[in-house]
Parts: sequence; C-alpha cells; structure tokens
Amino acid sequence: MRVTLRQSMAWIHGWLGLLAGWILFAMFLTGTASYFRPEITQWMQPEFRSVPVGAPRAAQTATAYMQQVGADDVQWFVYLPDSRTSATRIYEQRNPASKVPAVASEIVLDPATGAPLRARDTRGGEHFYRFHFQLQLPYPWGRWLAGLCAMFMLGAIVSGVITHKRIFADFFTMRWNKGQRSWLDAHNVSAVLALPYHAMITYTGLITLVAMYMPWPVAANYAKPLDFGAVAFGIPADRDASGKPAPLVDIGALVANAETRFGAPATRMVVRNPNDSAATVTVYRHPTASLNARGPSVTYSGSTGRVLEASTGSGPALATAGVMLGLHVAQFAGTAVRWTYFALGLTGAAMVGTGLLLWTTKRRKPGAVPFFGLALVERLNIAVVAGLPPAMAAYLLANRLIPAGIEGRAGMEVAAMFWTWGALAVLQFVRPARRAWVEGFAIGAVAFAAIPVANAVMTARGLPGSLSNGDTLFASFDIAMLGVAGVLAFGAARAGRKVKMPVRRRVREMAHV
Amino acid sequence: MAVRIATALVGGYAAAAALATLAARLLRIDRAEATSWAMILSFAVYCGVALWALHERRLARVMLVVWGTALVAASLAYLLGVRP
Repeated sequence: MRVTLRQSMAWIHGWLGLLAGWILFAMFLTGTASYFRPEITQWMQPEFRSVPVGAPRAAQTATAYMQQVGADDVQWFVYLPDSRTSATRIYEQRNPASKVPAVASEIVLDPATGAPLRARDTRGGEHFYRFHFQLQLPYPWGRWLAGLCAMFMLGAIVSGVITHKRIFADFFTMRWNKGQRSWLDAHNVSAVLALPYHAMITYTGLITLVAMYMPWPVAANYAKPLDFGAVAFGIPADRDASGKPAPLVDIGALVANAETRFGAPATRMVVRNPNDSAATVTVYRHPTASLNARGPSVTYSGSTGRVLEASTGSGPALATAGVMLGLHVAQFAGTAVRWTYFALGLTGAAMVGTGLLLWTTKRRKPGAVPFFGLALVERLNIAVVAGLPPAMAAYLLANRLIPAGIEGRAGMEVAAMFWTWGALAVLQFVRPARRAWVEGFAIGAVAFAAIPVANAVMTARGLPGSLSNGDTLFASFDIAMLGVAGVLAFGAARAGRKVKMPVRRRVREMAHV
Repeated sequence: MAVRIATALVGGYAAAAALATLAARLLRIDRAEATSWAMILSFAVYCGVALWALHERRLARVMLVVWGTALVAASLAYLLGVRP
C-alpha cells in the first residue's frame, strides 16, 4: 500500500501523466508550432508577398474597404499587420437590420492596397493554434478538455518534482541503450532541464482561459461581470449609437496618434458604430512592447477624433495576469527567444512522450504476452507519438498539393491532417509494435522531408531560390522542416535498434510504483 | 477509489473555486485586483487540494475537509453577497 509521500506522488504522477498524456503530447506539438503562427500562415500563402506598411496606413486601407461592404455595421474588429503578419484581418459585427449578407466571416486584406487578399484559401498557422486549446471539438468542450489536461499536467509536474529526489544530478545523467533506465533518464533529462519552462507554460496556459475556467471570483465582486472585463481587458465603456449620421475622421491619423502615445506600434483597433456621431475607435498597443500581453488602449471619438478615454496602468494582480498571458503566447519574443521557446516546447513533447513510453516499458515482462491494458497503451502511444507528426506534415503538404483555386480547399487541408492521423492510427495494428514505431517515425521523416520538395516543385519560392534571394522566412521554414525530418529519422533509427537489457541493478532512484 | 477521485477532481475544484470567491470578496483591496489575485491563485489551490485528496489515506477525512471547505466557503460567499 502507499505509505510515504514520495511513493503516493509517484503513483499519482504515473496515472495523471498516462490519462492526459496523449492529449498533452498533441497540445505540446501544436502549441510549439503555434509560436510561428503568422510565419506558417505566410508560408501557406506563397503567392502573396506583402509590401510592409505601417499600422496607420493599414488602418486607412481597412477603413476604406469596410466603408464599401459594412458601412452600417455595429463593430469592426481590425487586426493590423506587423513585422511578422503580412495581412490585415477584419471581423465585422453586422447590423441586425442590414439586408445585405456579410461578404465573409473573416475579411483578409492586402494592407498596402486595401483589396481582398489574392491568395489560396487556407487556415494557415491558425489551425495548429486553435487545435492547441480547442482540440477540434465544438465550443466549449474542447477548451474544457484542454483545461482539464492542463490541470492534470500541473498535478503531474508537482507530484513529479516531489517524487524526484536528485534533481541536480539528473542534469548530467543520460544512460543510453539501457532499456527502461534510458527511458527514465530521457524522461528526467527532458523534464528537469526545462522544468521552469514546463511549470510556467502549464500554469500560464490555464491563465489564458481563466475567465472561462474560474469565473466565480468575478461574481463575488461585480453585479455585472462585464464591468470586470472593462477594467481587466481594456474594453471601453459601451456607447450606444445616437442615430445621427456623422462621417468618420481619418482613422490613420488616430492610429498614428495612439502609436505616439504608446511609444510602440498599434496591434488592433475596434471601430464601434461607424458613421454615427457616437462612433468610437479604440486602438490597442502591440504586445511586442512589453512582457505584459494586455497593453494599454486609447479610445477616440470617431466623429471628432477627440480622446474619450485612455486605459491607465493596471495594478499588480492584473499586471501579473497580463505578464502570465504574455509569457504563454510569447508575442514579445524576438527571433532568438522565439526559437528558444520552440526548442523548449519540443522538450515538453519529449517529456510527455518519454513518460508515456516509460509507462509501458516498466510494465513489460521479457518474453511475456502483454496484458490488454499494456497493449492498448502501447498502441495509443504509437498512434499519437509516431502518428501526429506525419499528420501535421500532411496538413502542410496538402497546402502545396491541393490546387490553389478550388472551392473549400482550406477544409480539405485540415481534413488531410486528421485522415492521415486516423489512417496511421489504424494501419499500425497490422504491424508488430516495434516495427510500427520504426515505420511511424520513418513515415514522419519522409513526409517532413517531402515538404521542401513539394514547395520547390509547386511554387517559385523553393529552397535554393529562397536562400539566394534572401527570402528568410521561406528558407528558414524549409530548413526547419528538414531539421524535423532529421529528428524523426533519428527516432526511427533508434527505435529499430535492438536494446540489450543488462539488468545489473534495479532502477530504484525513482520507481513509479 | 471512485469516490476519492471524484472528490479530488470535482470537490477540489469546488473547494478552490469557493475559496477563491471568498478571498476575492474579503480582500480589502481594489475589487479588480482582489478578483484577479483570486483567479490567478485558484489553480494552485486546486492542484494542492486534489493532490492531497489523492494522497491522504483516510477517505472520510478527505471528504470532510474537501467538501466541507467547499460548502463553508461557498455559503459564506453567498451570504456576503456581491461586493457593494
């Protein structure tokens, strides 16, 4: 029976990790990819080369377009381009009285011209990002499930640290080719090395959706929960339309003024009741300016251009929440920090993956037929750890192989990912488990290596050209794909090696009872 | 075991949510700040309560503490009402 704290924590750690592990692995991989969300989107629309313009100019062209298609809208939510995002994205809240249907749920414009973007229809990096916390499930169930898994992860981290008594020595401990002990070492190295990152990313991940997971404190202090949102998220006070028409002032000048006030670029603006005398324009500061992702905002009158309200600095708690959000989404990060985040995210996936493998390795008896639960876990491990990477590659390959002009292609790209994943998860059953590991990783390696090839064949921005033209984004993307292919090929090679099991001493330093 | 897991998972959440709500209501600082601190720290409380519920061997004690905390804190928060 469980006696000591360490033993009970080891037991808890094993079960928390197992139950949430598969989803956590997928959340880690897609979340890691999402650090490059705008870059993935740019890569997936190779025919579009942006002419960089400042946020004020983009705000002007966006306004000009919206005056044509949604002059009587209730609100325009305009996401302005920056150094990493090349297009302007607009969501409109239509006037319920309007007879004309909306042009699209999301309007994507070329910021330089204000014309709709002429590029292939794709979900781009947004797909990985959404999957990371919605798991392709209907709202709100995906978010709840992701939150539950994050909570399991938090519990697994705390119980894992308590279980673990030699945290410093494990920095330097990696014994290869020793079966279970190697998996334990790999699990410990990947977990301990990046422990601050894992703890941070898990807790801050919960904070990103705290208003959904833990809304009760708001109810204790606010009769109207929206009042908390106004203070916490910089949502300006509601100002109803007056019904008296009045033209909008030059919005580009307002955005330029806001940038001067912030001393930083603008990221987003919300135009409420355009072309009404009570119109407002709220401009938000770009998150690159600070660790705190919830920067200040300033609200102008849309008809006179006067400042109506400017959010003041927030107190320590709100600033803490903002910084936690900022640390999670990493929009403050420059190139070097962003790649560091990427590498740390991969250690997270490695930690979860090796932990899942450890669960099976320590229960397997040499020569014995695995019991049902063990066989099931092993097959699910293969389906997720070896199956997801090729599926993600399929999404990117589909982007190059599905003709650019056909209807509904964005959905087909997403379908390509899940059909590939499902097919691999089922097909592996016809192969012995060890071969299935090798072949799964090998398929992944081939699929990722095929991405730069498909890019070179199907577009004019292949790797040799992008290298010589200084097309940094495309060159980096293709090289990164080759790097991922290399890692998976290494995985396939290692999974194929016969492991000698010199059981000299039992692994006792961290027995997962 | 099922009762213990339910207590850790659901009871732990209820206790953490109730404690956070009560703390947000009682902290004598700006209401947005009090609300925000309570929300930020609630997950740590949940994690601690849930792990303890799985660790402590006496199930009756686990249930009493976890559900009792949830009930008492929630009742107090309810009786206090929304901050005026």
